[in-house]
Amino acid sequence: MSGSIVPTGSVPAGAVLEVAEDDPEALMQLYAARGWGDGLPLVAPTAARVDAMLAEATGDPDEVLAVLPPRFGELTRRIVAVNAVLAGCPTVVFPVVLTALRALAREEVNLRGVNATTHPVAPLVIVSGDIVERGGFNAGLGAFGPGNRANATVGRAVRLALLHVAGARPGQGDASTQGGPAKYAYCVAENLAECPWESYPKSRGIDAASAVTVHCGEPPHNSHDMESDAPGRILDKMASAMATLGQNNAPISQGEYFVALCPEHASTIASAGWARSDVASYLHERARLRAGTFRGAFGQLAWAPWMHAVPDDHLLPMTAHPDNIRVFVCGGAGKHSSFVPSWGMTKSVTSPVEG
Amino acid sequence: MTKIYAPDGALGRPPVALAASPPVLGGLRIGVLDNGKPNARLLMARVGEQLAARTGATLALVTDKGPGGNAATPCTPAVIERLAKEVDLVLTGSAD
Repeated sequence: MSGSIVPTGSVPAGAVLEVAEDDPEALMQLYAARGWGDGLPLVAPTAARVDAMLAEATGDPDEVLAVLPPRFGELTRRIVAVNAVLAGCPTVVFPVVLTALRALAREEVNLRGVNATTHPVAPLVIVSGDIVERGGFNAGLGAFGPGNRANATVGRAVRLALLHVAGARPGQGDASTQGGPAKYAYCVAENLAECPWESYPKSRGIDAASAVTVHCGEPPHNSHDMESDAPGRILDKMASAMATLGQNNAPISQGEYFVALCPEHASTIASAGWARSDVASYLHERARLRAGTFRGAFGQLAWAPWMHAVPDDHLLPMTAHPDNIRVFVCGGAGKHSSFVPSWGMTKSVTSPVEG
Repeated sequence: MTKIYAPDGALGRPPVALAASPPVLGGLRIGVLDNGKPNARLLMARVGEQLAARTGATLALVTDKGPGGNAATPCTPAVIERLAKEVDLVLTGSAD
């Protein structure tokens, strides 16, 4: 390695650096010295590569789309393209990265809290619609990874933008006690081909060819059932895994759960005549603990008002309303589903893909 | 030479520096802003009382973040304005 990148001293935000050659090791060293990067090799964001990324978008490359806290960096198409190049994104998925970041900037996400908390929360990006096939996403076997470029690089590009633009660096803008693997990349595609119901975005009123959902939560929790032929037995196992005190959903009743059913579980459930909303209602009914158990465990409970009124021996749900339990299908053969608890003080957003 | 972009972009809001700490606390009004973490009010109010007793300052105001406020959300502007008006320094930010 020839030490081929020439640092240019103090670099203002949005500046251009000079590179002697396109060498990954040198680029990593330069970026690390400036507090940039995620620790993995990076693709040099040359003007040609950034322009190729921008060609997939419409609109002014330098339009300020949002300001991301806690650094309050300006989110533009160009700076997103820079981070998409760094992550190794194929250009076709660039609008997905843009859409995810714009969704994360929405007020209900509470990105300042998501980035700055001690919790290990990371935004899960769920990709739906035509872009899944066109962008080469994996919605099937191993959908949460590893091994697929689109899933991996979209998740990584979102994280790099949060590190660089939002300033969510560990110890600075990110106080996460332990961090977490989902903070490297956290993107999955909806397996609509094996979903017995309408697409997740359509179920939320988003009737677009392609859409992106962001949900700020924990890594997936596994729920395994390989023997049941009835919805209740499958979902009782998931409910038992959901009903624990260690998740933020326990003291924060507005928190959502995203339930990622594998196709075989979804098929068994739907074959019994159950709709997506029945899955949510059942889990809401079955994932419960005694009110007194919650009260004994927490000094502060950010609950819906009605939850405070029930006696200690009443069974309370892990989230205030069935609509807080969101169901989609992903993965391939096998009988492992999962669910993603929420950070709590955040709401998911689903948006049509736009550049 | 090849040119590459920096990845962070411009700032949409200028950074704000903390005010300088007062060299002497005597005669000043101490405020406590409970940031919503468990025991934050208890801990910081006690610190405020001890500081006041040792320095001749006054513990003038103990407040939370306002309606709907909690550890994960910002303080309401009305509470910030009240603190700015009624105290000279603020204790806040107790962690987990």
